[in-house]
Amino acid sequence: MPIYDQSYRTYEGAVHPGRGWWSMVRQELRALTSNRTFVVLAIGAGLHIAFRFLQVVVFDIAATKASLAFIMVLREFTAFHVGPRLFMDFLRGQGPIVFLMSIIAGAGMICDDFRNNLMEVYFSKPLTWRGYVLGRVTALVLVGLALTAAPGVLLVVVHNLLAPGWETLSSTYWWPLSIVLFSCVIVLPCVFGVLASSALFSSRRYASIAVFMVLFANLMCGSILPELLRRPNLHIVALPLAINCLGEQLFPTRAAAITLPWGWSALYVGMVCAGALAIICWRVRRAEVAA
Amino acid sequence: MALVEIEDVAVSYGRITALNGVSCSIDSGAVGLLGPNGAGKSTLLKTLLGFVRAERGVVSMFGAQMPKAALQVRARLGYMPEREIVAPRLSAVSFLALCGCLHGMTRADAMERAHEVLNYVGMGENRYRKTETYSTGMCQRMKFAQALIHDPKLLLLDEPTNGLDPEGRVEMLDLIKELAVKRQVTTILSSHLLNDIEYVCDRVVVLNQGSVVRDSTMADLTRLRDGVVELRVRDHKEDFRAAVEAAGCAWHDQYDGNVLVVKPERVTIRSLFEIAHAQGTQIRYLQPVRQRLEEAFMEAIRCAPVAGEGAPGSEKGDSRADL
Repeated sequence: MPIYDQSYRTYEGAVHPGRGWWSMVRQELRALTSNRTFVVLAIGAGLHIAFRFLQVVVFDIAATKASLAFIMVLREFTAFHVGPRLFMDFLRGQGPIVFLMSIIAGAGMICDDFRNNLMEVYFSKPLTWRGYVLGRVTALVLVGLALTAAPGVLLVVVHNLLAPGWETLSSTYWWPLSIVLFSCVIVLPCVFGVLASSALFSSRRYASIAVFMVLFANLMCGSILPELLRRPNLHIVALPLAINCLGEQLFPTRAAAITLPWGWSALYVGMVCAGALAIICWRVRRAEVAA
Repeated sequence: MALVEIEDVAVSYGRITALNGVSCSIDSGAVGLLGPNGAGKSTLLKTLLGFVRAERGVVSMFGAQMPKAALQVRARLGYMPEREIVAPRLSAVSFLALCGCLHGMTRADAMERAHEVLNYVGMGENRYRKTETYSTGMCQRMKFAQALIHDPKLLLLDEPTNGLDPEGRVEMLDLIKELAVKRQVTTILSSHLLNDIEYVCDRVVVLNQGSVVRDSTMADLTRLRDGVVELRVRDHKEDFRAAVEAAGCAWHDQYDGNVLVVKPERVTIRSLFEIAHAQGTQIRYLQPVRQRLEEAFMEAIRCAPVAGEGAPGSEKGDSRADL
């Protein structure tokens, strides 16, 4: 058929329905890479990763090649050690960036679709509300894990390559699992919280403001309640502190400031995620099943 | 088995009944859904898509029952919603490619098809612009294109000519007609614009207050009216009128100088010419009169049973047709 023919043609290619959610993920990631603010924040996160990479490389090379005196000096700076604390600090440092990136990427994800009447179009395709939610959540989770778990595990691999041996392997084998778990603990509440706000509000601006306000109120409660009720453990009402508690369990570096069993923190974080997910599902399902 | 089978379907939004015992069967061609505002046209389309669950009755499409087989059915139909859509930060090509991927096409196939379909609906080079910069007409074309991306067997179009200028409207209707007639795509077109329906469809389902009040072919709706002719005489109009009325015919003056004559069965066309000759005049124009769609529509609406309180669509605004 000539290229200038603009009449209607039947489609004879292959169709593999059921992967709609993955198409949404790819489209969203493609759109994010063209968002300038998002790219600037990603570069910021990248600088932190590069700094930690340098730290691991310098420490490992110094440990194997440098003179004994230099190592002794280096060992005085505990913050410079390649150990659980380094990874804990690295992930905690990435937390605020992940939070900001989740807001930039996710605040408009659902509300824009509602406002622009895209839900009706999406659900007229072979895509269910479950697929839609899965696609949106996966896109943001991948962004978050790309800034936390992926570089964290890579740093462990680099450490093992630069200081090969049974001793290194036996002391670091559990780090990747802890890194992935702590990354999930950081990323999931951000993602679910931001998307729940996006599902509830009509514009990305309101959704962003709402997330900041809820976080601020949460931090205030976490500061005031322990003083008011004279129970220091109530500090974990502040979500960032509850996340930190779990991090201290996964990377046991020093005595925890809060003596409450870690299960309470896990329960609290899990409940926040579950509540936010329930809001997302409720709002999105109503778009597909109107009555 | 027909492509679309609707049997005694009832849908309510809370206390408001939107559809009440709707039954019809659609197999091929272009079918117009006509009805005044709030008649239940959009609700019927949403029921077909599985967005709205029927309280009662059976909806089956492509031989599968809705909403159980919603995904399989949606894979084979294209839907153009009534409301304006915008895909922020995306060009029409990217948006259509996404729609294609949602249907399970590979990215390359979806891109190729997006270009083809956007060319077909006349988007030209505008397909590379961000969708938020589009005019209403372009949005309509994009909405139509996204419904065609996967080459559907059934098209559900909800007010496809909304917001289009006269030229754009004719172009859009021509595209729909071509798909329905030449490409054998079964089309259900919901509109309250009678001219659009008359131009495209070969069958009309009239809805009023949530019920089907008429289901006929266009030819049947616009059939010749028995014993009614439109004519014009050269002169002696009053003499001719007196003679015609004396023969038992009714006389209705038209605004353009023509006359509608309703004649009894015994008065033939030939006898009208004879009467004219006897009165010393000539009939210069005579044509049997077809029923107009507007008249058929109004008749169907008027003949519908009057609903009481809480009846279908009774809380959804007025029932005036947009003639």
